[in-house]
Amino acid sequence: MSTDDWHVADEDLRAYADGAARPPWRWSTEAHLGTCPHCRERLAQRVAPAAVRAGWERLDAELDAARPGLVEALLVRLGVAAHTARLLACTPGLRRSWLAAVGFTLAVAMAAAHLAGSMTVPIPLLAIAPLLPLIGVAISFGPRVDPSYELAVVAPLHTFRLLLLRCAAVLSATTALTGVASIAVPEYGPVVLGWLAPSLALTLLSLALMPRFGPVTAPLAVGFGWLALLAATVHPLTGESVLFTAPGQAGLTAAAAVAALALWNVRAAFDTTHHLGRVADPSTRRTI
Amino acid sequence: MTTVRAEGLSLRFGRTTALEDVSLTLHDGVTGLLGPNGAGKTTLLRILATAIPADAGQLRILGADPGNAAGRLAVRRRLGYLPQNPGFHQHFTAFEFLDYIAILKEIVDGRHDEVRRVLHAVGLDDQRGKKIKALSGGMRQRVGLAAALLDDPALMILDEPTVGLDPEQRLRFRELIAQIGEGRTVLLSTHQTEDVSTVCQRVLVLNQGQIRFEGEPVALAGLARGRVWTGPARAEGALAAWRTGNGDYHNIGDPPTGARLVEPSIEDGYLMLIDAASLAGSAA
Repeated sequence: MSTDDWHVADEDLRAYADGAARPPWRWSTEAHLGTCPHCRERLAQRVAPAAVRAGWERLDAELDAARPGLVEALLVRLGVAAHTARLLACTPGLRRSWLAAVGFTLAVAMAAAHLAGSMTVPIPLLAIAPLLPLIGVAISFGPRVDPSYELAVVAPLHTFRLLLLRCAAVLSATTALTGVASIAVPEYGPVVLGWLAPSLALTLLSLALMPRFGPVTAPLAVGFGWLALLAATVHPLTGESVLFTAPGQAGLTAAAAVAALALWNVRAAFDTTHHLGRVADPSTRRTI
Repeated sequence: MTTVRAEGLSLRFGRTTALEDVSLTLHDGVTGLLGPNGAGKTTLLRILATAIPADAGQLRILGADPGNAAGRLAVRRRLGYLPQNPGFHQHFTAFEFLDYIAILKEIVDGRHDEVRRVLHAVGLDDQRGKKIKALSGGMRQRVGLAAALLDDPALMILDEPTVGLDPEQRLRFRELIAQIGEGRTVLLSTHQTEDVSTVCQRVLVLNQGQIRFEGEPVALAGLARGRVWTGPARAEGALAAWRTGNGDYHNIGDPPTGARLVEPSIEDGYLMLIDAASLAGSAA
């Protein structure tokens, strides 16, 4: 049937103009309107000019709306709500440059693990992998890395929720990358997954300490603490450490649980910029 | 309607007293906050914006107590805040940035319509698709103001929004702030006494962490009544004196020889107040 001999019925056109037409009839009407000047003219007579203008403005707004970038589109595809994906998309720890740096670091750690033929534990990978989410989280939250941090703090969305969202996203990304790296060194067996518990423990501990020590000192202290712990427990030739045995892993998991509880207890501190320490807060340093 | 009531607010940063026993009330309309650098203006605004808590004092904002989480949330839902140095995600367009802030403000229904509304309110419809890094300083300030306007807040706190703007931009910004102040409370921190004389119904003067004046701008000017002179010479011991465009000296203080008394401006009253406070401070 051509557009010359069929037109939308008056009643249906009225329903469409009132916004009452339902799919699939609405889609069919829209498709016809696109090719039929006569029906467009009839529609224009039924709709108030203000409503047409508002419709165009809404269309404009949708066309202007932010186009999802790579990370955001991926998150939406993975089932993350669109507005949450938008919040996560500007997380520095999810930027391609940071993820590329993580990938490169892991590649170097893997190569070192391959080269360390005498070791029974891939210590370069297990030492470095837990530091990556720690650094990733540290660079994803706070006034030094989030340009609109102060606006975020005074917004109704709880800052702690934003922090957890970003942490979860950074942890997921680094865990996925480190998981791939672990698969690449299968000769070491299950011990290669020994980075998982310390990753969680270090990240949570650093967040729990942030209200007391600030967003830079806390992760730095935790990171150096981890390296010191490794230096004290790792056998120099085999790379074995109590940390990567079953009791050690259980201890690290328990530490992660304690840190999670401690973080929950101090969550209210993230509701203002107080957790940064007044002296450490750059906005208070700039001017009082 | 009283929107903000503060009594005895104090805050220290280590050994520095940023605010000391500050009491004030804010009503509908635009209130100016004047004060020299380091007076504590930004600290006061950050407390009122719920970014930091005070060490001591009572505070009610829009009927809620920001000292507890529920009260803070209630305030934040009706607050628009433009910090002194608003940061932007430079890779965002103006629209994208405002969309991001709208999500932080928990605007769910008609979020994009709301973004369009505030872009229109600040006259940035044509710039909405431009990256923020490509916008001029004045336009960025307007993006910041648009962010503060999202969700039609009952209280707006603007920290030196006219700093760095050229005269034309400053004029446009004042126009905007005057419009915004109709039907809501706006607290405008500024160094410019012209901002106060053109858009503010009330004015607060903060110096050395203390409120030195609270009242109408005309009353601030009135503080210098009978102390402002114009004449051919600089007065000895004047609180402030400068040569004007026509070659005469504008003197605040005791009358120099051959000078005539003139009507004081807000700037005269402000200088008089600040200088008197400084003298009192140094005497103490």
